[in-house]
Amino acid sequence: MIKSIIFWLLAMLLAPFFSAVILKVKAFFGGKKGPPLLINYYTLIKLFKKGSVYSTSTTFIFKMGPMVSLCSAVTVLLFLPIAGQAPVFSFNGDVIFILYLMGLGRFFTIAAAMDTASPFEGMGAAREAYFPIICEATMFTILVLFYKLTGELSLAGYFSGSQPAELWHAAGAPLLFVIMAFFIILLTENSRVPVDDPATHLELTMIHEVMVLDHSGPDLGLIELGSFIKLFFFSTFVARLICPFDMGNPILNTAMFGVALLLVYVAAGITESVMARYRMDRVPQFVLTSFALAFFATVITLEFVK
Amino acid sequence: MDLFFISLGIILAGGFFPLFLKRQFLWMKAVSVFGIATGCLLGLIDAGRHLAISGNLYASFDYLSAFSLFFTIDSLAAFFLVAIFFVSFLAVIYGFHYMDKPEKAARTAVNFFFFSLLIISMALVVCAGNMITFMLAWEIMSLSSFFLVIYDHQKPENRMAGYLYFVFSHVGAMFIFSAFGLMYGFSGSFGFEGAAALPEPVKLIVFVLAFIGFGSKAGVFPFHVWLPHAHPAAPSHISAVMSGVMIKTGIYGIMRMYSVLGSHTMIFGEIVLVAGMVSGILGVVYALGQHDLKRLLAYHSVENIGIILIGLGLGMIGVAAGQPVMAVLGFAGGLLHVLNHSIFKSLLFMGAGMVIRKTGTSAIDALGGLIKNMKITGITFLIGSLAISGLPPFNGFVSEFFIYMGGFRGVALDRTAFAFSLLGIISLAVIGGLALACFSKVVGVVFQGEPRSVAAENVDEKGPAMLFPMLVLAGACILIGVYPKIFILMAVKGVASLELGYGRIPLDHFIELTGNITRAASIFFGVFLLVLALRTLLYRGKTITRSGTWGCGFTQPTVKMQYTGSSYAASILEFFKPVAPLNEDHPAIQGRFPAKTHYHSHVHDIAERYMGSIIVRPVQWVFDQLRWIQHGDIHLYIGYILLAIVVLLFFV
Repeated sequence: MIKSIIFWLLAMLLAPFFSAVILKVKAFFGGKKGPPLLINYYTLIKLFKKGSVYSTSTTFIFKMGPMVSLCSAVTVLLFLPIAGQAPVFSFNGDVIFILYLMGLGRFFTIAAAMDTASPFEGMGAAREAYFPIICEATMFTILVLFYKLTGELSLAGYFSGSQPAELWHAAGAPLLFVIMAFFIILLTENSRVPVDDPATHLELTMIHEVMVLDHSGPDLGLIELGSFIKLFFFSTFVARLICPFDMGNPILNTAMFGVALLLVYVAAGITESVMARYRMDRVPQFVLTSFALAFFATVITLEFVK
Repeated sequence: MDLFFISLGIILAGGFFPLFLKRQFLWMKAVSVFGIATGCLLGLIDAGRHLAISGNLYASFDYLSAFSLFFTIDSLAAFFLVAIFFVSFLAVIYGFHYMDKPEKAARTAVNFFFFSLLIISMALVVCAGNMITFMLAWEIMSLSSFFLVIYDHQKPENRMAGYLYFVFSHVGAMFIFSAFGLMYGFSGSFGFEGAAALPEPVKLIVFVLAFIGFGSKAGVFPFHVWLPHAHPAAPSHISAVMSGVMIKTGIYGIMRMYSVLGSHTMIFGEIVLVAGMVSGILGVVYALGQHDLKRLLAYHSVENIGIILIGLGLGMIGVAAGQPVMAVLGFAGGLLHVLNHSIFKSLLFMGAGMVIRKTGTSAIDALGGLIKNMKITGITFLIGSLAISGLPPFNGFVSEFFIYMGGFRGVALDRTAFAFSLLGIISLAVIGGLALACFSKVVGVVFQGEPRSVAAENVDEKGPAMLFPMLVLAGACILIGVYPKIFILMAVKGVASLELGYGRIPLDHFIELTGNITRAASIFFGVFLLVLALRTLLYRGKTITRSGTWGCGFTQPTVKMQYTGSSYAASILEFFKPVAPLNEDHPAIQGRFPAKTHYHSHVHDIAERYMGSIIVRPVQWVFDQLRWIQHGDIHLYIGYILLAIVVLLFFV
């Protein structure tokens, strides 16, 4: 328990660092030096030191938005086995709770955006409401597959200890599809290229960034922290699946997990460097690919697992 | 006399006496509300007692000395009674301030009268112990609600809605009649007990007929066409009761039929599950496309009936596959969703009623920023929206969680059960996402941002009798969401009287699941407090300034620039174009200084669009051919009667 809590705290502490890796990779591809790896910490500290400007159109919901979205990210992290460790909390069915809790975070992010009466934020909100619907369908399809393989309905049952290796053992080939699907979800849920471009300067083309335009100071810091944690959360899925080994030694396990995690972030960085953002009406097709992959993986597993 | 009938008597008195009191408008309302509310409260206590001690009540009366009216309250009926009396109790209190037009005193009195009849008939429907009793109560229910729908009968669209509702409820009743007729034909008794002895193929026909009949009341796609017309036409507290509990009597009928037929083959579950998936997804897609607040909520009833049916379907598949735990998970989840939906849907209708009362419009795109002046309405509506989107820690999540758990039990099974459960789970996930999109639209456009028209400016939310029920319902949403244990046990007990063909199943599993939900909710609240503390700490001694919304460089923003509900939903509707055809009307913008233009969009409900050409017109054609029978000559009509009697005498 204590160990799990330490890992949970560590994860929250290190999440901003990993996100900076993506920036570094992008800078490398652009032939630039890039910001320092600690840039996100500097940003957070800077934001936390500031005051805030609130729009006269906003209400208390605008202030609730950052809190609930951070709260949902931190809560779901409690259920995540980090580096193969047992999670802080776990129960039968916690995955359903986790997915819906992220829905709650999304609802409040959208509500905070709609609170400002800004047309741009409404536009971003509409997109934020749309694309994750497909992600949810994918996630539940993958859950069905994992449930079929392990008989468990908790993240601990999929990602802790030697469980990922068991998954590979039970259904290796379909798991490749699942990794692809997870990666697409990671890009979608965390507003990365090719779904959304966090670095663009034109509000019309943004999703997540435009929704938080009016947030400032500590509120914006909380939102940023929440999105770092969320990215860490999804990256862990992929990292544990591409590196499923259990060395038996916690230190080795943690080191290996760290490397796998870095790989995922680098992969996200490379994707952003070599791809352009899709046209908005093409995005659903991209996200649907993940559903097709997951669905296919689940259906063919029916033949293997009896 | 049992407390149950006493409470019905008080409700009837509460509805009847005000008919003579219309000169004293306030007194009339007070007497009526007091009577009906007292009766509902007594009924609620009685239903709760029945659920707690699980003793069945039997009562029998002679009717026209030919049939016996037979009533029985088992735990399933008691569960529905809890929902009926609870929502009606709050709705009638809401009505005290909602019906605020002294010049319409007579009409208000009639409204209360039919309202009391509706409550009584709903209660009798779920207690009916034989076919005659059931159909009698069912018809009273349909007719009384018809009169409630046409309350505002000066408006032609309300009369049209009433007409549509009348036709649908009677065609539905006809299907139920034919199902009952088949049962009677085989068993020779008006009781439900004989149905179990029917041959297997007949059972399927009976079930399908009954499913269409009950489905048209419940609002199952494609028999839901009346629903989005009738709910907006009725006064809001009536919509709350109709959408919250009356359509659930259809669900009750489906469950009861499944139980009395006692046929545990897979096909029943498959029919119900597929109907549930289609209703669920299409309901919420059409809801997204609506511009009228109450119409939107009405389509959400279709969606939630879909979710309930997915639960029941999974339960039936569980029964067929010999998986008692899966069966109870599905049924109990569906049943709890009946209660949950009655709570948050009536809350939302009451909120919508408040908005319509105070702004005079129900057009979503004409509203905005209401939460600033309508704090309680806004916050309770927000809670209702979160609950209906199935988000934790609110009650909608609990029932969906149980249905999911049932579905996951199902995917562990063999092929057909696996395939149907998989589809059920995926549709639930999609429904959840779409509902979130839809309610973030409603909250965002109606309650947040800036007012889009003069009507939405400077409103208030006076009317404690309207605010009180909303607060109670919002509290119930949170209570069930955080402490679902007792409510799940109620639902499991309700399922027990379905007699699904297995003994008592241990409750430990369900108690463990509810414990997990409570724990997860407390973890969430704990983390939320931490975050709140962090935020407070970060804002200590900081300068807070207020200014206009950042317009991305544009310095002359107007409220008209805000995203509207239509634009919010546009891209999602684009995705569902094949099932939700969109009509757009806007002239192309021309020239350097374009003239004033307009945009109008309408999402077509394919059931409404094609029902006319596929079903209604052919039937009409056949009847047209038979018109010569109806010639208007009274002598020949008497001849018909004579002929009928002779034929009956000789051949029957």
